[in-house]
Amino acid sequence: MKSLSFSMRDLICGLLFIAVGLFFAIQAYGLELGTAFRMGPGYFPLVLAGILVLLGIIVIIQGTQLEHEPMGPIAWRGLLFILPAPIFFGLTVRGLGFVPSLFLTGLLAAFASTRMRPGTALLLVGGLTLFSVIVFSYALGLPFRRFGPWLGL
Amino acid sequence: MHKLSIFLAATAALALVSGTAGAQGYPERSITMVVPFAAGGPTDTVTRLVAESMSKDLGQQIIVENVGGAGGTLGASQVAKAEPDGYTLLLHHIGMATSATLYRKLPYDTMNAFEYVGLVTDVPMTIVAKKDFEPTDMKGLIEYVKANADKVSLANAGIGAASHLCGMLFMSEIKTPLVTVPYKGTGPAMTDLLGGQVDLMCDQTTNTTKQIKGGTIKAYAVTSAKRLDALPDLPTVAESGLPGMQVGIWHGIYAPKGTPAEVTQKLSASLQKALKDPNVVARFAELGTVPVTDAEATPEGLKSKLESEVTRWKPVIEAAGQYAD
Amino acid sequence: MDLLSNLALGFATAASPWNLLFCLTGVLLGTLIGVLPGIGATATIAMLLPITFQLEPVSSLIMLAGIYYGAQYGGSTTAILINMPGESSSAVTAIDGYQMARRGRAGAALAIAAIGSFFAGTVSTVLVAVFAPPLTAIALQFGSAEYFSLMIVGLVSSIALAHGSVVKALGMVVLGLLLGLVGTDIYTGTPRFNLGILELSDGLNFVALAVGVFGIAEILRNLENEHERDVMIKKVTNLWPTREDWKQMTAPILRGTAIGSALGILPGGGAILASFASYTVEKRISNSPGEFGKGAIAGVAGPESANNAGAQTSFIPMLTLGIPANPVMALMIGAMIIQGIVPGPNVATEQPALFWGIIASMWIGNLMLILLNLPLIGLWVKLLTIPYYMLFPAIIAFCSIGVYSVNSNVFDLYAVAFFGLMGYGLAKLRCEPAPLLLGFVLGPLLEEHLRRAMIMSRGDPTTFLTRPISLILLLLAVGVLVVVLLPSIRKKRDEVFVED
Repeated sequence: MKSLSFSMRDLICGLLFIAVGLFFAIQAYGLELGTAFRMGPGYFPLVLAGILVLLGIIVIIQGTQLEHEPMGPIAWRGLLFILPAPIFFGLTVRGLGFVPSLFLTGLLAAFASTRMRPGTALLLVGGLTLFSVIVFSYALGLPFRRFGPWLGL
Repeated sequence: MHKLSIFLAATAALALVSGTAGAQGYPERSITMVVPFAAGGPTDTVTRLVAESMSKDLGQQIIVENVGGAGGTLGASQVAKAEPDGYTLLLHHIGMATSATLYRKLPYDTMNAFEYVGLVTDVPMTIVAKKDFEPTDMKGLIEYVKANADKVSLANAGIGAASHLCGMLFMSEIKTPLVTVPYKGTGPAMTDLLGGQVDLMCDQTTNTTKQIKGGTIKAYAVTSAKRLDALPDLPTVAESGLPGMQVGIWHGIYAPKGTPAEVTQKLSASLQKALKDPNVVARFAELGTVPVTDAEATPEGLKSKLESEVTRWKPVIEAAGQYAD
Repeated sequence: MDLLSNLALGFATAASPWNLLFCLTGVLLGTLIGVLPGIGATATIAMLLPITFQLEPVSSLIMLAGIYYGAQYGGSTTAILINMPGESSSAVTAIDGYQMARRGRAGAALAIAAIGSFFAGTVSTVLVAVFAPPLTAIALQFGSAEYFSLMIVGLVSSIALAHGSVVKALGMVVLGLLLGLVGTDIYTGTPRFNLGILELSDGLNFVALAVGVFGIAEILRNLENEHERDVMIKKVTNLWPTREDWKQMTAPILRGTAIGSALGILPGGGAILASFASYTVEKRISNSPGEFGKGAIAGVAGPESANNAGAQTSFIPMLTLGIPANPVMALMIGAMIIQGIVPGPNVATEQPALFWGIIASMWIGNLMLILLNLPLIGLWVKLLTIPYYMLFPAIIAFCSIGVYSVNSNVFDLYAVAFFGLMGYGLAKLRCEPAPLLLGFVLGPLLEEHLRRAMIMSRGDPTTFLTRPISLILLLLAVGVLVVVLLPSIRKKRDEVFVED
């Protein structure tokens, strides 16, 4: 069937390219453009941003011609637990200290899988923390505080 | 490249050293000395040499941390905001004084954000050119450059770098603007000078001495008051008729404002010892520089240097109309 | 024979029991740290550098070189096993290496990577020993115009990295280029695209980007439909390369070695292109380009050899000129200076034992690595039999530690999460991460060289055509573009016909 239908995937992709291109273009436009001899900080990015917008448009147009496949499921549970894990580590590694922060980070990540049982998770993450402390803190001597000031130690 | 590496790791061997130290009072734990430039550069080298020697004297490890970026101002502002307990120090070069003018929006107040420990060394600069550059001496160079101002290109290692400052001074002294070519650090600038892609550069002896001795680049003058032991045949700028070019890349150690005077005094005393350490002296000599005197390696010495240098560079930078932000 | 006596001196130095021990220590440490997810060669060296300060200069440099190679091997291992490159070079290995692993051929992929690297290491060590000075002279002919044209060749070829839509691949390259420009403009010091965030003033962190768009995104994809399909493991078939594999990997290894050696000599960032260039070449000349991206042996053998050859020959500018070709070399030079050796054009004559000792130890280090890594393959492959739901929390934890330890910068961890989300989104849109990464590393270089070439030529754009090397490179780029686009145009036509 050769009707003119948009591929959802390509439409989003194209729009994304256009949006990012426009963002950089607007930002670059606020910078000095300079001349071809002595280009300013905005010259090169502006050209690139223009190209990206153009590519975005092409992607959308092409999307109307090719056959489409479904997007597939989205790993909501994964997104919910995996992405916050490194952020949590960053927020707490200085305050809580390396050991508790890493333990909780691992635990958080572990729950991204529906297969993980709490007991297994505790055991796994405990071993992981022990290993990391030995390798990074003791053997390599990275200057992480093992237990941080938030714990009143 | 991105701000790379911070040398976090204290080694097992070092841990042993610090473990056995039983110093009373300050310092009770390891000290972090921030270098506001990338690892492996000349400032980093000076820092590591001094830090190693001071560590031995203080009985606590000084960990060198590279916080590069924004012409050294990123590292400086990090130290300005640090706890004034003597456990975070800054080793910065002349950029401390020039960034006060180069950056119109600094996140710290150069003259009031720091306590002073002392000057470390004053590294001279050399005016160098590609190997087959026509002029044979400084006088010839000035004439040639003036006659061919639109053809000669002058390399520098980026805004605020030693080579950028020296280049600005050179152009203001000979009253001839040249085409300046910025690089991302000294390495690539030197590569292009070696390959003859650019003509001129003015850079620290730490970067140029080996190349000059190896005959891969041509040197015209050194910006110190006296000729260097490492390069005895190289005339000074004063001998060559440009006394105003006398300039050095001086390095100083700072602590955050509010650091107790006892701490800075103790550090200053330790610095003075380090500057007499034969190993430090020898390594400095290889790099074409000498440690400063005891009188300069003091809080007062550094303070007055910083004040006079801020004043000196303000008009040069303003005249060049070059700002970093 | 000067060379022979020099090499004899080198081997005598490098093969002293102590130096052998330090070489082994370096190789071991490098491998062990480098194999942790998200930690590449630069991060490993930065972490381990202080350990070497207490040693003799020669031993210290030998150990550092060992760490460097070890970390590269380690980085390839994680790229193959869990799609987690810690360095731009292993990002290419991840494309087909990881697919091989998914098909149960992890052992073969690892063995091919090790063998290719060893061969490339041997050849390029000889190159360094014999031709270092003349090669340096050639490298110095490269000015900014030449580098710009070289980068253009790299960008054009990068389209081959994609196995889907060419337009999307181009879009990802451009997106990468733009992301690479975030930070501070080196010419004027102007901050740009940093949204006012101070941590961004030196640009986005490569490791955070790579870990995010490759590693985290892959984990998220594996967590889709967890119950319906068994993630990852297919029964591991033969651990070692088969006779057929050997046949398939020989030519790519030879070509990869040649490409990597040539690009590694260029101090202005040539080595970055080595693995990408090799991948492009292999895909172009392959009889079955459709295999690429699905576990092609040539897609592992070529880039891995190129990468290792480039890593070795990038020592040339450092040893002969004292100039760092990449961040790792900058760290090495820093280490040399700390040791009281100022690298420069005279190191070879002033410190022959050091100079030739390092060269000899390069080969010894590579030998140790292959002896160390081939037996380890069994162990690594066993790792894959651990159920995925138990493996990925560890991956996340190591990534967090690794990314944080490089800069002690919490912001980099936020960046990992952000790029993880972005990478997952892009994967859903069928946009591939490899071209993005290439664009990201090339972006700043491309702009830097373009602007500098224009300054040098006083604003005359014909400089790119009047300089012979630059012209040749640009013609090559046009050639590549034609070759790359032709089949895709033909394919498009076919599709149109089919639809009609």
